[in-house]
Amino acid sequence: MAIDDLTWIHAASYFGAGVSVGFGAIGAALGEGYTAGQASDILSYRPRMSGEILKTMLVGQAVAETAGIFALVVSMLLMFGELKGHHALEAWAYVGAGLAAGLSAIGSGIGAGFPAGAACQALGRQPSASGQITLNMLIGSSITQTPCIFGLVIAFLLMFIDYGAKPYYPYWAAFLGAGLSTGLAAIGPGYGGGLVGAGACRSLARNPEAQRPITTAMLVGIGTTQSTAIYGFLISLILLFKSFPESTSYVPSFALLGAGLAMGFGGIGPGIGEGITGYYALDQVGRVPEEATLLTRTMLVGQAVSESTGIYSLVVALLLVLNA
Amino acid sequence: MEELTRVWEWTLDVGGYHLVFNAMTIVMTLIIMALLILFGFYATRKTEYVPNPCQMVAEIFVQTFWNLTKDALDEDMAKKYFPLICSLFMFLLLSNWIGVLPHMNEPTKDLNTTLGLGIMGFCIAHYAGIKTKGFWTYAKEYFQPVFFMMPLNVIGELAKVISISFRLYGNIMGGSIIILVVTHLVYGLVLPPFLNGFFGLFVGTVQAFVFTMLTLVYISVQVK
Repeated sequence: MAIDDLTWIHAASYFGAGVSVGFGAIGAALGEGYTAGQASDILSYRPRMSGEILKTMLVGQAVAETAGIFALVVSMLLMFGELKGHHALEAWAYVGAGLAAGLSAIGSGIGAGFPAGAACQALGRQPSASGQITLNMLIGSSITQTPCIFGLVIAFLLMFIDYGAKPYYPYWAAFLGAGLSTGLAAIGPGYGGGLVGAGACRSLARNPEAQRPITTAMLVGIGTTQSTAIYGFLISLILLFKSFPESTSYVPSFALLGAGLAMGFGGIGPGIGEGITGYYALDQVGRVPEEATLLTRTMLVGQAVSESTGIYSLVVALLLVLNA
Repeated sequence: MEELTRVWEWTLDVGGYHLVFNAMTIVMTLIIMALLILFGFYATRKTEYVPNPCQMVAEIFVQTFWNLTKDALDEDMAKKYFPLICSLFMFLLLSNWIGVLPHMNEPTKDLNTTLGLGIMGFCIAHYAGIKTKGFWTYAKEYFQPVFFMMPLNVIGELAKVISISFRLYGNIMGGSIIILVVTHLVYGLVLPPFLNGFFGLFVGTVQAFVFTMLTLVYISVQVK
């Protein structure tokens, strides 16, 4: 059975659609379940506040759902969108788009559930501060979506830019690597960013007066936690837009694929680790708001050390891209 | 979808060098600088006990960032670095918000702007570190905890520049790509204003604040 390019492109877009929504469904569901669990937990202490807690739970779950919806959008586009191109290369771009959107939704989906769950708990502990807590949860959960947004951007770039004129070797691997790099590297930072947001909500329940230092420390903490997602995004952009010479062997292709994998897997651990650092640091900011600067500085230094493995991956990925 | 990769460029050949200018970024940066100068002029022209709107906004900016800078650095150093921090935030905020207007582009959507600001912050932080601690104490820190960690410490410092500038660039550029693609897909109906509100105003504010705070904290890490 001879298969022409158009068939490959169709097959790849269906494969990408499945991968995208399949992976994307993991994270949001876990995050929402965690939120609902925390809400039920605190409801037993504060049955009178059920309305408020239920509202916060639903809002938090809606934010966590965003990551899953991004994956759903990409998979719908892959299934029903107008397919461009008649070149076999487009097939790999669709697979890469599915991987980028799907994998990147895992971390942010789980992550966005943590601030929401912590906010439900915080509401039960400190009902008078419900306004500050809800605002803090919304900011924390929305910023946690950033790695997922990076994945969506890479998916859109892969789907909507016409790459028809580029050589098949080694670009097929560049597209696959671009999807894997952003997708995998977004898992850790999404998860970790959520932890930082959860620490901030807990801290706010302890000391609602200290809203300003808590929000500042939370934004800085989530920002640094996302560094490895940014490195993954950087490697993806390089893979998409750097011009590689046409090759006759498989070697350069696998160098590019390896670059994507190196940065992708290398980004998972530092993201979660920095998130844990941020969680404990933020938890204490509410206790000693006057030492918030000291805590932020210590948190940043610690996060920088735990990020070093991600930087090794970045260096290896850059070397692989340059050698290709 | 050709808008995705379109770049406005001016090219200039000077003495054998082929110079490329990103026209859109330069023009938009100039517009933003002009707007900020106008704002500063109107905010300080007639200062009164009961402030006019411009003066009030300026007072909020100054008060908030003075407190943040004072907490992160000592009072003396804060006096020196506060103007930088406050104007950096105002520049970034306006840059990120201006994309909401039709036919306007965010200068922060261009990597050159964010990388330039990132390198500026890096240089200032290290200058402050050398000035307060002296060169030898500063240099010795690169050989902590053991001397052969030096290359990794240097790479770690350089990675800070990459992460701070790509964070802003990725968020703003990503937002504008998502707005462009979704607007194209829904034929400009219903969704774009909400997307502009989220990516332009909300994400723009948060990212401007994160960039400013990280610059401030990097200075504070160097001087302490």
